[in-house]
Amino acid sequence: MSDFQFGRIVEYLPDLINGVWLTLWLSLTSMAMGLVLGLILALARYSGRKPFAWPAYAYIEFFRTTPPLVQIVWLYYGLPGVFGVDLGAFGAAAVALGLNIAAFFAEIFRAGIAGVDRTQWQAARVLGLDWVDTLRFAILPQAARKVLPPTGTTVIYLIKGTALASAIGTPELLRVGQLVANETFRPVETLTIVAIAYFVLTYPIALAFHALERRFAADRA
Amino acid sequence: MADSLIVLEQVTKRYGADTVLDRVDLAVAPGQVLVVIGPSGSGKSTLLRCVARLEEIQHGRILIDGKLVLRGSEDAGPIPNAATLRALRNDIGMVFQSFNLFPHLTVMENVTLAPRRVMGVSFAEAEALAIELLTRVGLEDKRDAYPSRLSGGQQQRAAIARALAMHPRVMLFDEVTSALDPELVGEVLKTMRGLAERGMTMLVVTHEMGFARDIADDVIFMDRGVIVERAPPDRIFAEPAEPRTRAFLERLLEREGGGRRN
Repeated sequence: MSDFQFGRIVEYLPDLINGVWLTLWLSLTSMAMGLVLGLILALARYSGRKPFAWPAYAYIEFFRTTPPLVQIVWLYYGLPGVFGVDLGAFGAAAVALGLNIAAFFAEIFRAGIAGVDRTQWQAARVLGLDWVDTLRFAILPQAARKVLPPTGTTVIYLIKGTALASAIGTPELLRVGQLVANETFRPVETLTIVAIAYFVLTYPIALAFHALERRFAADRA
Repeated sequence: MADSLIVLEQVTKRYGADTVLDRVDLAVAPGQVLVVIGPSGSGKSTLLRCVARLEEIQHGRILIDGKLVLRGSEDAGPIPNAATLRALRNDIGMVFQSFNLFPHLTVMENVTLAPRRVMGVSFAEAEALAIELLTRVGLEDKRDAYPSRLSGGQQQRAAIARALAMHPRVMLFDEVTSALDPELVGEVLKTMRGLAERGMTMLVVTHEMGFARDIADDVIFMDRGVIVERAPPDRIFAEPAEPRTRAFLERLLEREGGGRRN
């Protein structure tokens, strides 16, 4: 590949930047959804009470074991036909990715909560703290410290996974890259630029999670 | 005793097929210091944990201040009133063998958390109380330290301050010096002695016989889930009525070479 030529691609940079924004927005919405739903699922499973734990278990295994691409297609093409609900391409992709990543967050969070010593719950209990305060002030802060590394990895995985939304025509980064590649007949150069853009999006996340880990290490001797 | 602060009536606790507490009766009067001794697995810690409502019981009743707080899950009859439980939830403070401080919070935050969240005390008020308590246990200069920076003895004293911040009427101590290096035991026992002198009602599970002798109004010897004997320390150490108590104390004295701490 001695003849890398980026010349004409430069004309399409504004389009690619729009793609970056959409990828970022898609990542943020599905991440927010995944974090909230993941925590609820984790608590439901951790509770050990069948009416909560069982549906959570079924949900997690269903979404972990079926392809996210298929989940996106179901929501985009399936929902309008079956339920008459049309989320649009962005909405379908964001919801599908959020529902999917929630299953992964749930398992990470559950492990984190289970990793907090049971005696911490007892200490909170004898102090009179209720369930919500026990979680909020005693358990989750400790669990959060434990799950930072896998959570960061999953967030990065999610950001790159938003490329699957290209399959239903959402004009996110990869989709724009494909279009530009077709226009310029320079797929390798275009996709290289796309890859760099993903790196620019994800690397700061990796750094941020490392920084959080260091900050949280303050209470360890 | 009608005016007992804690009453256990025929309390039975099982883990699967194991009966850990077998029809235990116990009454603790206000201001009384009871020390519970006995071999490991005798049910001492479980007894405390039931009083703290950390465990279910299968049979019997536990009353605090004459009010029902725990009832056997296999018994019929009235269940504890939710409002009563809420009103009484601060009455019992507990300190554990493994300290159980919240590791992500400073000493000050550990002590002020429950007063602020449970009793709705203002931050300033909670902090003032915490400083008073930390001074009492000799940790006023450690207020901003995280537990991992403290010695075991300091952590245990912080845990005592944290429990006291809820103004409990009863303090439960579950082998609180067992995880400590020998040279740190004294400072924790001193703190507990101070509490007893202030008239705190205490239920103490310990292996520190010297301490039991000094501090207890009554010593309770437990074995296999049963209270075998209850007597003032002078009597139970000098002339235990029950052969099982005598055998236990003899074994203990042999192990300690006849010496005693504190």
